[in-house]
Amino acid sequence: MSIIKQNLRGLIQPLIAVVIGLIAGAIAILVVGGSVTETYMEMWKGAFGSFYFLTNTLARSTPIILAGLGVALAFRAGFFNMGADGQMVLGGLSAALTALYFPGPGWVVLLASIIAGIITGGLWSFFAGWLDAKFGMNLLITTLLLNYIATLFAGYMVAYPFMDKTGSAAMAQSEMIEQSVWLPKLFQGMGLHAGFIIAIVAAVLLHFFMKKTTMGYEIRMLGSNPLFASYGGVRRGRMMMIAMLVSGGFAGLAGAGEVLGTQYRFLDGSLTSANYAWSGIMATLLANSHPLGTALAAILLSALQTGAMGVERNTDVPLEVASVIQAVLTLFVSARIGYTFWKRRKGKQKNGTTT
Amino acid sequence: MLLQMENITKHYGNVTANQAVNFDLGEGEVHALVGENGAGKTTLMRILYGMEQPSSGSVKVKGKVVSFANPASAMASGIGMVHQHFMLFPSFTVAENIVIGREPTAGGVFDRKQAAALVEKLGQQYGMPVDPWAVVSECPMGMQQRVEILKVLYQGADIIILDEPTGALTPLEVKELLANIKSLALQGKSFIIITHKLHEVMEVADRITVLRDGRLTGTLAATDTDAEQLSRLMVGRELVSLEKQQVELGEAVLEVKGLGIRGPKGKGKALLKDIHLQVRGGEVVGIAGISGNGQSELIQAISGLRPVDDGTVQLAGVDIKGMAVRDIREQGLAHIPEDRYLWGAAKDATVLDNGLMGHHHTLQRKGLVKGKEARAKVSEWIRQFGIKAGSLDNKIQNLSGGNLQKLIAAREFAHDSHFIIAAEPTRGVDIGAMETIHTELIRKRDAGVGVLLVSSELTEILQLSDRIVVMYEGEIAGELSAKDATEEKISLLMSGGNRQA
Repeated sequence: MSIIKQNLRGLIQPLIAVVIGLIAGAIAILVVGGSVTETYMEMWKGAFGSFYFLTNTLARSTPIILAGLGVALAFRAGFFNMGADGQMVLGGLSAALTALYFPGPGWVVLLASIIAGIITGGLWSFFAGWLDAKFGMNLLITTLLLNYIATLFAGYMVAYPFMDKTGSAAMAQSEMIEQSVWLPKLFQGMGLHAGFIIAIVAAVLLHFFMKKTTMGYEIRMLGSNPLFASYGGVRRGRMMMIAMLVSGGFAGLAGAGEVLGTQYRFLDGSLTSANYAWSGIMATLLANSHPLGTALAAILLSALQTGAMGVERNTDVPLEVASVIQAVLTLFVSARIGYTFWKRRKGKQKNGTTT
Repeated sequence: MLLQMENITKHYGNVTANQAVNFDLGEGEVHALVGENGAGKTTLMRILYGMEQPSSGSVKVKGKVVSFANPASAMASGIGMVHQHFMLFPSFTVAENIVIGREPTAGGVFDRKQAAALVEKLGQQYGMPVDPWAVVSECPMGMQQRVEILKVLYQGADIIILDEPTGALTPLEVKELLANIKSLALQGKSFIIITHKLHEVMEVADRITVLRDGRLTGTLAATDTDAEQLSRLMVGRELVSLEKQQVELGEAVLEVKGLGIRGPKGKGKALLKDIHLQVRGGEVVGIAGISGNGQSELIQAISGLRPVDDGTVQLAGVDIKGMAVRDIREQGLAHIPEDRYLWGAAKDATVLDNGLMGHHHTLQRKGLVKGKEARAKVSEWIRQFGIKAGSLDNKIQNLSGGNLQKLIAAREFAHDSHFIIAAEPTRGVDIGAMETIHTELIRKRDAGVGVLLVSSELTEILQLSDRIVVMYEGEIAGELSAKDATEEKISLLMSGGNRQA
């Protein structure tokens, strides 16, 4: 019973944040002179209004869920992996290159590409963890800065050595991947691809892993109180490497999924400009690193984005209303983090004797 | 009577924190308020200090009925409170901390010199000299306590509430504090002292009021009672007296030879120097010492939490120097850590998760935690040790300190190891929990387990140990057998005087 309740709590938190965001959005709509109900109706329609829009929203949420899960795992272990962006890009790039050059039948290449994406993203993240464990370099900073190296490197790769020279468009992109290697679409004519199923399965698996396995237990305790964990025999350095490896693997999978399921090639900037990784981080924060909550929050964030496009198509209210809502969400999230941080500090003062 | 609290009742929802409690205080009196955790002491004092409103009952100061809406109005009536955790600004000076809120000014500007002079005079007047220009963060805890009391006196308090005033102090500082309280009482100040420590109560208090489960169980003159009667009143039953059995000493379970840890970056004073220590099966070796004299480093060195520079550590005959914590634990170490929140628990994790630590390698199959068995095991401890934990899925931060300490102790006892480190095993816990933990430690000893007890409480050391080792500045200052040891001898060694082998 209480286990259900606890899980529910993880799911409820993002909803509360979104409601507050919507209220703030309503005020913004009123200020620009729009109708709140009409705007939100259009937003709803744009996100969930028809089967097409629904699948569109879910398709957009796929990389956000996966990137968010990776970040959630690292956060749970107490490590701030801010490098999902770069890990995703490298994962996408290596998936594309594997898909283009790996020999074999379609499904083998597809599998190899996905694995290549996971491994590349994982190693890139692991590298940051190794720098921390070996040289004490701050993880937050290294993961953040490695993003630039990753995106610029990927950009170079598709602008020079692996640039698509077959088409007439002179864009920084790789050649198109053969159709047999594509992740299948779930429905004819819709954007939603099999990556979404992978993402949902991954969320459930991660939830199970964190709750039920000894390693998940050690990761949770490490994030909750590192000294307690080391006292109990958890090896911090080793756990950090593992957590970072898996965390980056999720981001790499997100990149691979986009390349193999939506773009069918690696196009420079397509993964970063859509802000998938950062939306993923926000989803994680909204859900307090709860895997299932992260998936739900990712879908809601993606709905907000696709819904806003609907609003702009059909009303005079600008797309930026969604930005207002997102900004308020971010504020709310950071306020909550500030609050828990404050509570923790306050708790620390209470540590001594009790009366 | 200076202060009378009559028929105070306080409900929180359907929980009754105080039930028709009477409490009074005369001028120049020291009145101790004792009771177990959750007995309602703090609630009663919060009501007096205006932090809570009573559900019914009245408070009279000098015969007049008063009602305090907040601490400021309590202060205006001459009531001051020194909280358990000091409320000082660490980076400000002593004088600044004392005059805060009522700063002397010259031409509308804070006059630091005048403040310092005032504080100096105040200290002399009450026999508690302080350096007004010292920065609080650089003062020892005893001095900070003094600053807190002076702050309350500066605000004009005649009634001073002290909440667990000796928790963070060294034995010497405690002595000074108790002397200060007595002399202030002679000058007409009145004190209410909330505490767990009955020997301190017996030393300083004129009267003692005991609370249990929110009810008054007695108000006694200190001359008519003793610590045993008080603990009976607090717990509501006879305490089991500790009886050790004669045990044949076993093999050495812990053998520390020439252990040394150098200062930070190899420079500075060594943290541990040439420590030789043996613990055999069936004995309790007590390590006494004022905290900060190398005890923490010694524990961490033995348990693998801190690298060792010199010497060897053997656990059951195996050299464990440089081994990982997990391997040392598997080699046969159980460890009640010195700070339950820092090392012993994860506050935002559940009771179950906290109980599982260290057992999660045995309670697993193919990497999956055996949920049912884990729950059964932790439930069993909760039953066996009478831990008030709510449910297994309750967050640990909702447990009282004593209940958490019992959970940690139960978790470590359950390892069935040949050696156990018990560091400050009863710090800040109530008598009931202390009794449980002490009884279990002795039971372990009687069963042939070697126990290394580290405690800054001399009474605890004297009560449990078969041998006592005193540490001073990272070295062993002396060793005493239980029958030779007296509080005086240990105190002397603790303060670095008169070394003996």
